[in-house]
Amino acid sequence: MFADYVKEKREALRVGNRHYTLRQVAARVGIEPSYLSKIEHGEFAPPAEDKIRLLAAELNEDPDVLLAMAGKVSKDLQAIIRARPRLFADLIRQLKDLPDDALLRVVRVVRDGDW
Amino acid sequence: MIELRDHTLVFRFPEVHPRASCQISFQRTLRIPDDNQSYPLPAGLGRFLLHHVDDYYPRLPPSWEQHGGVFLPMYQSEALWVDLSFNFFDDYPCAVKVATGKINAVSGEPWGNGLIAAPQDYLVITSQRWLDGYAVGQGLIRQFVAMPLGAGFSAEEQLTGAAVHGGLQLVVYPMKCERFEELEAQRKAARDLEVSYSYVPGAFIKIKPEQATEMALSPGGLMRQQIERDPYGLAAWDQSAGSRCFVHLVDSRTYAGITGQAPPHPPLTAEDYAQAKMPWFEYYDERNHAVPGAAKLAGLDSVAATYIKKGGMLPDNKSVVPDRVINLNHSAKVREGQF
Repeated sequence: MFADYVKEKREALRVGNRHYTLRQVAARVGIEPSYLSKIEHGEFAPPAEDKIRLLAAELNEDPDVLLAMAGKVSKDLQAIIRARPRLFADLIRQLKDLPDDALLRVVRVVRDGDW
Repeated sequence: MIELRDHTLVFRFPEVHPRASCQISFQRTLRIPDDNQSYPLPAGLGRFLLHHVDDYYPRLPPSWEQHGGVFLPMYQSEALWVDLSFNFFDDYPCAVKVATGKINAVSGEPWGNGLIAAPQDYLVITSQRWLDGYAVGQGLIRQFVAMPLGAGFSAEEQLTGAAVHGGLQLVVYPMKCERFEELEAQRKAARDLEVSYSYVPGAFIKIKPEQATEMALSPGGLMRQQIERDPYGLAAWDQSAGSRCFVHLVDSRTYAGITGQAPPHPPLTAEDYAQAKMPWFEYYDERNHAVPGAAKLAGLDSVAATYIKKGGMLPDNKSVVPDRVINLNHSAKVREGQF
């Protein structure tokens, strides 16, 4: 999924802009063209988070979306969850089925406890 | 639901009415002399900083996670008043219960979530704008003053003999939707007859969890303040829609250890206040009747009296003569603000 998506996006951009060849994108991201080629063909696993972020910037994509497609969670989100794993695990599970518009209305509330 | 915005608790009840909301913050203020004379209302000296308990959980006592809510820093012997306000455009009445150490500050009774009408154990926003202390008599309160939990000064410790809860507890109930709609119709009729508003400017005025020093509110000096009787009656309040909040109180050293932030500046003394020629306020609404005050609370020892019983003296407790008193009776009730 990640491989196909990256390839499709890069190819679409290349149609109107010759700076999006495999070689040029690879150079800007800081990887070998052959490595990017193998990633796009699914022969190699997605690269590290920092490279995915650079790739997302090149392709005008949301880095969190691209990271998720690569089966990864960004380091800052991991840190947030690790700080309060029980709370965030519970929160995410409770929110998982909410429709998008309801999620957008979620605000941080002052939690009431047992007293 | 309660949000924390700009160090203010914002209570909203969208399930009851789109306009059902009120705001509660906590104002730093002068600790009035605890000398058994009654004083007018001192000015607000800025909001106490409020933080989510959940943001600092690993550094807080475990019971705080259980309680949830927020916390604020106070110096020993610092005073606080509860600022009860509403959105000017929404103007939605709410009933508020305030307790310290789970002792009701109006009735002196142990905490219960529901409202009690006789004797009234709650305040009504919008008629009540401030609560500065424990209702000890008609038109008279004893100021909320922070002392260390467990030192024997607090209302909780004096009434229960134990230092278990500390902090300050709130529950807010909005007016019932249908009652508000009736009230709005009456207000609209009154607005049509209204000429103008008057406006008088006032004084706009890393620690280990086991090392955390909790503060407990204790009865301080006497102040002239009415606890307004509920003008709407118990049936007006939607008690199925309450929101509660536990406000933990920490001393300033603990606050710095928990948050890594500098604590606020130390509070002013009454002498500083007088030298700075800061104003006092009188507010008495003759249109409303005041709750008589609770005998249980009237029987509490003040902080100064407890000091004496312990063989000491409350520091910075010289009597003062308020020389600049602003009467708020017929003006906009502006009291808080920054100097």
